[in-house]
Amino acid sequence: MTALDPCVGCGAHRDQALVQLGVSPDQWDYLVALAGNPNTGKSTVFNALTGLRQHTGNWPGKTVARAEGGFELEGHRVKLIDLPGTYSLQAGSADEEVARDFILFGQPDVTVVVVDATRLERNLNLVLQILEITPRVVVCLNLMDEARRHGIAIDTEVLARQLGVPVIPTVARSGQGITDLLSAVHGVATGATATSPYRIDRYPSEVETAVATLSEPIRDAFPRLPNVRWVALRLLNADSRVEVALRSGDLGSLGANPTVEPSATPGGGQAVAVAPVAEAILDRATALRWTLSPQFHDSLTKSLYDVAETIAAASSARGVRRVKFDLDRLFDRVFLGRWTAFPVMLALLTMVFWITISGANAPSQFLAWVLLDTVHPALKSMSLAVGIPVWIDGLLLDGVYLATAWVVSVMLPPMAIFFPLFTLLEDFGYLPRVAFNLDPLFHRVGAHGKQALTMCMGFGCNAAGVVATRIIDSPRERLIAIITNNFSLCNGRWPTQILIAAIFIGALVPAHLAGLVSALAVVSVALLGIGAMFFASWLLSNTGLQGEATTFSLELPPYRPPQIMRTLYTSLIDRTLIVLWRAVVFAAPAGAVIWLIANVQVGDASLASHAVRLMDPFGILIGLNGVILLAYVVAIPANEIVIPTVLMLTVLTLGLTGHGDSAGVMFELDSIGATGNLLRTGGWTLLTGVNLMLFSLLHNPCSTTLYTIYRETGSAKWTMVSALLPLAMGFTVCFLVAQVWRLVG
Amino acid sequence: MVDPGLALAVFAGIVAVAAVVLWPRKGLVPRLVRVVRLTRRVRMEDALKHLHDLDYRGRYGTLDSVAGALGLRHGRVVDLVAQLEALELVQSKGQELGITEQGRAEARRVLRRHRLWERYLADRTSMAPVDWHDDAERREHTISAGRAEELSASMGHPVYDPHGDPIPTASGQLPPRTGLTIAALAPGQTATIVHLEDEPREVYERLVVAGLAPGARLQLVDATPERVRLIVDGAEHLLEPVVAANITVARVSLEELAAEITRTSLADLRPGESGVVQEIAPACPGPQRRRLLDLGLVPGTLVRAELRGAIAGPVAYDIRDALIALRREQAEMVRIERSPSTTSAEGT
Repeated sequence: MTALDPCVGCGAHRDQALVQLGVSPDQWDYLVALAGNPNTGKSTVFNALTGLRQHTGNWPGKTVARAEGGFELEGHRVKLIDLPGTYSLQAGSADEEVARDFILFGQPDVTVVVVDATRLERNLNLVLQILEITPRVVVCLNLMDEARRHGIAIDTEVLARQLGVPVIPTVARSGQGITDLLSAVHGVATGATATSPYRIDRYPSEVETAVATLSEPIRDAFPRLPNVRWVALRLLNADSRVEVALRSGDLGSLGANPTVEPSATPGGGQAVAVAPVAEAILDRATALRWTLSPQFHDSLTKSLYDVAETIAAASSARGVRRVKFDLDRLFDRVFLGRWTAFPVMLALLTMVFWITISGANAPSQFLAWVLLDTVHPALKSMSLAVGIPVWIDGLLLDGVYLATAWVVSVMLPPMAIFFPLFTLLEDFGYLPRVAFNLDPLFHRVGAHGKQALTMCMGFGCNAAGVVATRIIDSPRERLIAIITNNFSLCNGRWPTQILIAAIFIGALVPAHLAGLVSALAVVSVALLGIGAMFFASWLLSNTGLQGEATTFSLELPPYRPPQIMRTLYTSLIDRTLIVLWRAVVFAAPAGAVIWLIANVQVGDASLASHAVRLMDPFGILIGLNGVILLAYVVAIPANEIVIPTVLMLTVLTLGLTGHGDSAGVMFELDSIGATGNLLRTGGWTLLTGVNLMLFSLLHNPCSTTLYTIYRETGSAKWTMVSALLPLAMGFTVCFLVAQVWRLVG
Repeated sequence: MVDPGLALAVFAGIVAVAAVVLWPRKGLVPRLVRVVRLTRRVRMEDALKHLHDLDYRGRYGTLDSVAGALGLRHGRVVDLVAQLEALELVQSKGQELGITEQGRAEARRVLRRHRLWERYLADRTSMAPVDWHDDAERREHTISAGRAEELSASMGHPVYDPHGDPIPTASGQLPPRTGLTIAALAPGQTATIVHLEDEPREVYERLVVAGLAPGARLQLVDATPERVRLIVDGAEHLLEPVVAANITVARVSLEELAAEITRTSLADLRPGESGVVQEIAPACPGPQRRRLLDLGLVPGTLVRAELRGAIAGPVAYDIRDALIALRREQAEMVRIERSPSTTSAEGT
């Protein structure tokens, strides 16, 4: 590849860089990146710009979430990439690396930095760092309504002059300022608006000398590079990504038309011409590094903040806070007060659970009536009429369809209620306070306070809880949260717990107390799960998870009224889609397997019967039985179908008739009493019931969760640990309970 | 059905056996692994390191000192030294064992890997300081040269390890030894801690627990054969002479010292109290330090303690208009100077 014409060069190299970053270079005219501190309302801006035309995924090779979307701007198609919220771009964490790499190598046409108007100084730290990398920036000064409430007035014109880029005030949640933002973006993207970004011209003296010395050879090699001083600083920091780009010549393409030939492909190609020059520069950098004091990084951050302070002081003024501000303090006194915090927490959590359970009842029954009692028989009679062979009809309708329908009807309503409620609490600002309150407990077992939140999410769905651990940015504590999330009793296991408690434990007391006692039993199991979570966290942090880095900080955002309608809408759509997807992908095959093992005969009995016979000895040893173990094996994909499978297998192995439609068809009975009788006929005792409740709590995660864990950790080893640790605990606990029970009883 | 008593007994037996075999460090399997790792090459490298260390201090080794350092029987040591002599890495003059140029270069290669690894553990992981040395002792023999270079590059080619020892360069250079011991100070003299000897482990642990780290400032109050009295970063410490002997210092002037002697940290602020940040303690490890700086805790920043949680734990601080909660151990890393409490402009 020959020396490139600036325009052509930019495009070709950028396309390759973009592909590596996971963005395909077609289908859009302009690429815009959205950056900013956490908690600035960046996602609100993102939603305001893209509407529902967005989808989420991961950055290639990293478990960092990424949202991208598109919109039209004056006839041009714009692709918007939401970068992770970061405090800085010094590339200390995966989030920062991703953000920095995209801005530097992806070279978006515009980088929009969302800034919280109430925390100008802190946010300017990031803005200044971004301005050092790229001149094409628009600052979106968001949360102006809160600034007004706090009596902060910002002169956007002065700020824009100081920073050298457009500054647009917005209130993203109400849409104010978005049109101005769009025209500013258009101006910078097309080049109609020229920017002259603020560049730090004076670093602390020792750094300044080193940077100036190193900038010379870099400027000679890459004369058109717009941010030479920044590159010099990065090399002095031994930034490996920038070093790689220097060696391969990619750095040259960032400014275009270098005197040194760029390589044909990023990271390879004609490195020969580049090599000596690049090595000379790197050697110079190494030599200069020895002259810098070990803490020079501190002084760099200080100089950034000095500038940020000056600019903020020049462009903002504080007035008198309006009365409304005291509400925040009142909330904090209640939510964090020594005597009030925990009762409030328990009350709120109980309320969420109660609304979920009672609210989901009717919709679940309705869905069951539609999908199972109406559609299923209709499909069966249709297939009979058409003459579909029994095997296919059984496999597809009784196996696949039934399992999928079951999961949907049991899972969908509670999830659609639980998660929006949770998101509302989060939007309000209460959840970080929970993490704040509970952190001492988690700290003692080596975990992070935010694990309280992912644990609560896990009560809805363990897979969602695992994804939620992204809020824990410290890798070690995140792993602990992921592995122990399974101990939260998820929605799918509640029906099992409630049913077994009613049959076996409720039966021990007089009828008028039965409901209360079985409810208490389920609550105790849930609390036991929380205890198991603390124990497992302690175990992990003292054995396998010692060598990973830990950073702790927790930002407590101000209280904000939640956008109820919007949250319900987006949460509903998200959750519904996930449940449906999961039902199809995981539960459907499980249904097929269940029907097959019951109907495929080997020798004189079905596969299922053989399996049950094989597992019975071990099952009885630990106080369960072969039917339960087999049911759990085939129901790995979905906890909801455990009970129907158990009933089906019981009927199958006992050779009973009059239950269910035919062999291999899962079913449920309408009355608790009838179910109880069936199980007792199968040899179940109180011990079996108790141990089933324990095992339901302490067993391997469902396959959706395991798949999610694998995707989030990228490690087969930790996924195995997540699967085997609870299982080992479950077997041990059931075993011990069974032996002690039999000894004593 | 199995007799429950029998089942429990068998279970207890299995657990007991597993504990004996697998217990970290003391179990049979970990011990076996350690023995297997102690190959001949490993012993030779350890012996070279020992002799190099003495050589650096201007002393010679003996067969006994090598036997002591490696924990080997005398007979084994004789063989080992004979092998080293045959390879021209070591030369003996009567009772004394000295190291050759080649031996020095070889020892420094191993030392480089050891110290780079310790630096990595200190900066990038949360492993406890007392464990760094042991872990590095194992790793120094297994890290390849290429990996060592990668490691060095990724940390910006560090010059010192976390104990204050210089890291030999890739070409085997080491700066000449500097530093005094406490014994060389007169009462009242001030110095900066340059190095903490990491062996024996128990002694090092005492120093770490007392909060000493390279970079900390100290002043000698007085020293007797029974104990040494020091003021380190504003706090008084009494140490046994054998422990104090493991501290290497460099003199600093009283003015430099006086400027630093406050030991108030963020953790000392109660809700409502404010302070101005002086610095982040040198002992604060890499990732945490960067996070604190990025949040705005640079020298000169005014910070106010605002909220405390329901149970004793993290405290929320107002840092540049944001409420950030930090745990006590992080807040202790931020050295401040108290400000007189002012009613803020907002009138809260």
